[in-house]
Amino acid sequence: MIPASFEYFAPRSLEEALQLLAHHGTEAKLLAGGHSLLPMMKLRLATPRTLIDLGRIRGLSYIREDGGRISIGAMTTHAEVESSELLRRRAPLLPETAAEIGDVQVRNRGTLGGSLAHADPAADYPAALLALDAECVLTSQKGTRTVVAKDFFVDMLTTALQAGEILTEVRFAADSPRTGSAYRKLHHPASGFAIVGVAARLTLDATGKGSAVSVGITGVAPKPYRATGVERGLLGQTLDAKRIAEASAQATRGVEPLSDLQASARYRAAMAAVFTRRALAAALGRAQKQG
Amino acid sequence: MANFSIVGQRLPMVDGPDKVTGRGLYTDDLALPGMLVGKILHSPHAHACIRRIDTSRAEALPGVKAVVTGRDFPNRYGILPIGHDETAFAVDKVRYIGDNVAGVAAVSEEGARQALELIEVDYERLPAYFDPEETMKAESNWIHDEKPHNIEKEYHHQFGNVEQGLAEADLVVSERFACSEVTHAALEPHSTLAHYDPATDRLTVWSSTQVPYYLHLTLANVLGMPKEKIRVIKPLIGGGFGGKSEVIPVEVEAAVLSRQAALPVKITYTREEVFYAHRGRPIQIIELTIGAKRDGRLTGVKARIVQDGGAYCGYGPVTLLYSGALLGAMYDIQNVQFDGYRVLTNKPACGAMRGHGTVNTRFAFESLLDRVACELGIDPAEIRLRNQLQPPCITVNQLRVTSYGYPECIRQVVEKSGWGEKRGKLPYGKGVGIAGSHYVSGAANSIIRSEMPHSTVNLRVEDDATVTLLTGASEIGQGSDTIQLQLVAEELGVRPDRIKLVAADTERTPIDLGSYSSRVTFMAGNACLAAARNLRKQLFEAVARVWGVSADQLEARDDRVCAQNGSGKVMSFEQAVAAARQQFGTLEATGSYAPPAEARGGKFKGAGVGPSPAYSYSAQVAEVSVDTETGQVSVERITVAHDCGRAINPMTVEGQVEGSVWMGLGQAVQEEMIWNQGRLMNPSLLEYKSASTLESPEIVPILVESVDPEGPLGAKEAGEGSLAAAIPAVANAIYDAVGVRITSTPISAEKILKALRERQKPQARGNGGRR
Ligand SMILES: Cc1cc2nc3c(=O)[nH]c(=O)nc-3n(C[C@H](O)[C@H](O)[C@H](O)COP(=O)(O)OP(=O)(O)OC[C@H]3O[C@@H](n4cnc5c(N)ncnc54)[C@H](O)[C@@H]3O)c2cc1C
Repeated sequence: MIPASFEYFAPRSLEEALQLLAHHGTEAKLLAGGHSLLPMMKLRLATPRTLIDLGRIRGLSYIREDGGRISIGAMTTHAEVESSELLRRRAPLLPETAAEIGDVQVRNRGTLGGSLAHADPAADYPAALLALDAECVLTSQKGTRTVVAKDFFVDMLTTALQAGEILTEVRFAADSPRTGSAYRKLHHPASGFAIVGVAARLTLDATGKGSAVSVGITGVAPKPYRATGVERGLLGQTLDAKRIAEASAQATRGVEPLSDLQASARYRAAMAAVFTRRALAAALGRAQKQG
Repeated sequence: MANFSIVGQRLPMVDGPDKVTGRGLYTDDLALPGMLVGKILHSPHAHACIRRIDTSRAEALPGVKAVVTGRDFPNRYGILPIGHDETAFAVDKVRYIGDNVAGVAAVSEEGARQALELIEVDYERLPAYFDPEETMKAESNWIHDEKPHNIEKEYHHQFGNVEQGLAEADLVVSERFACSEVTHAALEPHSTLAHYDPATDRLTVWSSTQVPYYLHLTLANVLGMPKEKIRVIKPLIGGGFGGKSEVIPVEVEAAVLSRQAALPVKITYTREEVFYAHRGRPIQIIELTIGAKRDGRLTGVKARIVQDGGAYCGYGPVTLLYSGALLGAMYDIQNVQFDGYRVLTNKPACGAMRGHGTVNTRFAFESLLDRVACELGIDPAEIRLRNQLQPPCITVNQLRVTSYGYPECIRQVVEKSGWGEKRGKLPYGKGVGIAGSHYVSGAANSIIRSEMPHSTVNLRVEDDATVTLLTGASEIGQGSDTIQLQLVAEELGVRPDRIKLVAADTERTPIDLGSYSSRVTFMAGNACLAAARNLRKQLFEAVARVWGVSADQLEARDDRVCAQNGSGKVMSFEQAVAAARQQFGTLEATGSYAPPAEARGGKFKGAGVGPSPAYSYSAQVAEVSVDTETGQVSVERITVAHDCGRAINPMTVEGQVEGSVWMGLGQAVQEEMIWNQGRLMNPSLLEYKSASTLESPEIVPILVESVDPEGPLGAKEAGEGSLAAAIPAVANAIYDAVGVRITSTPISAEKILKALRERQKPQARGNGGRR
């Protein structure tokens, strides 16, 4: 269980990191919390020649709100997200999701940027980012560009990140009034990853109708997706348990559920519907509580 | 109630402080000057002939000190005398993915790894067999030439007359049960440090083993060295659970590499290697039939068991025989038939795992018995009481039962779990289930078919009046050291901290067969008592002479010797020791234990396995809730009563009982080794889930003390017997909760959901439980 040998850099600034990345090209890997990368290196599923550690760079770890928009630095750990007072008030979906990731050790080391860049199909954050309509800020020597979450996740372990780019920030709108959200997850019994993970956020208008509904689902398909069939069934409707149950049956419409050791495709599809309903029902309850 | 001062105390385990502070040394913590790192080349093929191995490039690599292949050490070994089918490395054939092809010892781990990559092997692939029922049909290319149709062993036992028994029954039920393969997943991976010293021609081996003595014999055989040239030492062990109760390839491989390199060599398995070394609980397919009278009396039981053994013999036939021998023996059933097949497949060998051989059949039997009770309208707790044995007695398959706390276990769990108020009365989705199990307190017949005592201990009183206890018994976390110490302290009437333990070192300690089949408390415990009584006799003789009284008037207690004749004479233990030394010089004693002839069972083929000097019993009530949308089961509470004869240390007994329940729950609801063409799909702890404290339900342990007439102060087995009942208790509780019976393990959420859906289909209605 020892990785192949590699060269290690610990740049002090983002510029330096971008330079190193540009210089070493595809031979290099960025190192954030290491909780996905290092296990892969130990198993020699990954054998990068060069590691560029982002851990010494100041200013990549923050959570702030500016005019109703929240931005989070890529090196913010799961534990920081989980315990952020700001997020608990303004976008509680994200801390609720972070709390479901792995165990305490993983949450203390793992980072938001690392999880998103790794794009494990069973990772938790992607569901929440989709439901939050977040955008990812990608920085390279050429400058920055933003990609919406829906386009950021390309395929299993594949994102929109190009060579030479670092994911530096994630942004999204804070909850508006009468908004409720929830994350519900069927855990893999051993690893804790999501067999099914559903993040739901909905906003009620004054009459109790759903004025905004978003559902992000992870674990079910090769990449996380928005359950648009479910959303359509609820948008503009008076929301109640029955309607949510009906709409949730559409949780896997248009996707081909994965089949693996832990769950068959059939079981996954059935669970996607169950956990979608549970997430939406919880979100509805929370939205209603806000009156 | 006997009046003990140290036995019955919740004494903290003597090896505890070193373990929890990290001070303790496990094999992998050890290092010697000049020590090399060993690595093993494993087969990528499930079944293949080795046509050629070229190690020259590996040998030429700087830092490589030895490369060994099968031809260098071709002597065969195996834990059973009938199963010597393994060699240090494959000689001309590999039989599973992961089989051992070559070994390398180098100055660094990275160097050893590189050397492995330089070994060239030409394989000629052979058809491989993975399915236990299919492999029996093989007409050629058998896994071992001398085992036609890949059948390692078969046994056919008939006691009483089963056909007649079933004909007399009012109800006959049959079911096919399938149990998946599970493994020990001990925290400590297998590790061996071997040091062959060419100057003295001696080999010293430190190894993570439950059986130092068998390892000693095996090393002598494989290396062709005389026994007296070899010393085996067992350091601290981080869990065995049966996985270290036979010789594991790493142990002989480290030794042969050290011999070749003439330098110390250590090999510690990676977790993946641990999974492939395996020796865990096999896949078993159990076809079971039970007949019963209307009043619940069982008239007969019949089982056909196909056991998927993997590629080597190991303990396999013993596993199978336990499945048969303990099938019906905890109840009074006069007609029992058992047909068992231990078949070979191209997978790692299975072996002994906690509850050895009894677990899967217990799951099947107790599940089917629950169905019998339900169909007859008898309370499942009551049907078990109606079939109780009447000890002392001899079962139909000639097992001698001397003490039997099972009925009391049932009564206790029924009372403490609220069984009467809960069974059939909880809301849909919640339920309770009951089941029982039993286990041997050591095997009455030694696996090496020797007549020598199974345990011997020596006691020596030192100058400072401490007592050195020399024992071959192997502490593997089960409490062996603590229990022996408590027994000796009790008999000598001294403070426990007077006793210093020297254990499991074949050069310094007397022979003990090892930690398996739950034998240590019973056998080493009895040896401790015998030795302590011998020692006390000498002590009393000396004191009696000083005081001019007769030795039988003396008593030792609370670190003192007193006269019981009204004289009020008292002497401290130190003074007594001084007096004895004056008279005898040295003060030493020995004691040993061999199971009595009456406990050793019948004479039929396979009769050697199952007999034990005493049996433990367990009853459990599981309370579960089932999420009927996801099929997920959550075990809320286990009430478990274990008949341990006498609790020498109630705390360690409770620990063992709780640990057994956890392990049983793991197999019940989630553990499973998943194979694909001989490749293990989940060889890591991030994929293979074994139960931990985090998932533990509330466990309520109850100790029942039946005081066995031959156990040490009445004690019996405590470390394994409570495992098996956990699985059927959960299965039966699921039936009570949602009305479906799952007949295979693990009882996964997906299986439950499927069964619930099938039951909802109109045509499938009928005997669908209470709802
Ligand atoms: C035992 C265990 C259990 C876990 N359970 C869960 C779980 O339940 N749910 C879950 O979602 N995750 C789980 N994880 C994964 C965990 O969340 C990881 O921390 C996370 O996936 C990766 O984050 P990291 O910071 O550790 O990234 P690293 O491991 O350091 O990096 C991961 C990948 O992302 C790249 N990368 C890192 N940062 C950036 C960046 N800023 N820009 C571009 N590329 C970057 C790296 O080059 C690498 O390819 C678990 C991990 C472990 C070890």
